Amino acid sequence: MSQLADKAKGDKLVGEVLAGSIRTASRLISRAEACDSSITPILKQLFCKAGDPVLLGITGPPGAGKSTLVNQLIQHYRKHDKCVAVLAVDPSSPFSGGAILGDRVRMNQHAADPGVFIRSMASRGQLGGLAKATGDALSILQAMNFDVIILETVGVGQSEVEIVRHASSVLVLQMPGAGDGVQSVKAGILEIGDIYAVNKSDLPGADKLVTSLREMLQLSSKMHPWLPPVVAIQANTGAGIDRLVQHIGEHRDSIRSGGEVHASRARERVRYRVVEICRQLLNESVFSGAGVTDTQLSAIANHQQDPYTLAEKLVGVL
Amino acid sequence: MSDLSSPADRASPTIRCLLGMLGTDVHNKGIRTLAQMLRDHGIEIIYLGEHNTCEGMTQAIIAEDADLVGLSYSSSNYLDYTRQLIDTMREQGVGDVPVMLGGLIHPEDSDALRQMGVSGIFGPGSKIEDILDFIHRAVGRADEPAR
Repeated sequence: MSQLADKAKGDKLVGEVLAGSIRTASRLISRAEACDSSITPILKQLFCKAGDPVLLGITGPPGAGKSTLVNQLIQHYRKHDKCVAVLAVDPSSPFSGGAILGDRVRMNQHAADPGVFIRSMASRGQLGGLAKATGDALSILQAMNFDVIILETVGVGQSEVEIVRHASSVLVLQMPGAGDGVQSVKAGILEIGDIYAVNKSDLPGADKLVTSLREMLQLSSKMHPWLPPVVAIQANTGAGIDRLVQHIGEHRDSIRSGGEVHASRARERVRYRVVEICRQLLNESVFSGAGVTDTQLSAIANHQQDPYTLAEKLVGVL
Repeated sequence: MSDLSSPADRASPTIRCLLGMLGTDVHNKGIRTLAQMLRDHGIEIIYLGEHNTCEGMTQAIIAEDADLVGLSYSSSNYLDYTRQLIDTMREQGVGDVPVMLGGLIHPEDSDALRQMGVSGIFGPGSKIEDILDFIHRAVGRADEPAR
């Protein structure tokens, strides 16, 4: 196909996404997941058409209640006539590449609501708690007039912090019964929250967890203008959700009011995103064979050449 | 952070299969077993669970860009539900997405189901190889070896 026809086709897709076509958006997300680089011109256009939605990341250990919480948040925002998009990530099997994406089960009641878009994504080998195409999917959704975009990570351990590189507000969900006070002062996901929620707050140990999280945050808060709140919730009943949503709104107001901390975090996200795209381009060039020959690879395998020089060359090409 | 040896990286587009149950059917043992087996063969399952409506399932097919849909039944009203789902899918412009059924399907109903547009029927005792073979043919990737 000629370049001109390609461009016309791309412009048509951009128009459809901007007009809110779920079908087109979901097709484009599939193409992004399949690393189809022919959509890059479309993504470039969409990126510059981004609206200003609440971009909320939700992370926490498996079984903490992330999807159930997302369901409550959708319900809350829909009551206020806000349109909501959800990207819910579940892990891919490291052995088969397959996956069971089960987050929709908790959000079934919104299945037929045209004001709600839910997309399940498999992590496809990405290790930070999100999917490889998360950044591209966000470029698409942000151009679509959603008021709120929720990004739900896979069930995480202690070090999957990639969510901070995509979401402007990060909610860390915890539950009682998962360790003593030392757990809450460790590094990793317990440093990344803008808001903390303790789910299953009817279970024993919940109050203690809320207290120890607050203590931990007060000690480390001198670095921030924003002291992350800790909210006790019950995602299955909806208890505490109103307060949680209020804090999400306050954090957004804090971002909007400016301030160097927020601005530098936004720049940090872009920095990371650029590196992510570079990595993708390098991947393509190294694994498609265009950038690297078998002779080169064999020479390195035999230690006649070194991988550092080749890597420098490839980065130079970019 | 990406693990370059991941199988999903190297293969052609991963098949996305939506599995769920309509109406009041709650016997999910079969569909969960199938979900796990398909996962182990490299397929991404979008699992909807029980109590779906035809409208909700159709919206999920669109939003998830599913390559095919699998339904499981253990109650007798599968003819009505399946017809209703396929009608809704056609109305919403996703009538071309293949539909397969599993569970307690009476052999004498197969013709009616196929006429409605169902392309695969797998009752008790079906083999995973046959289901995989069907899936690859149905989504037009028959030339790919099953992973």
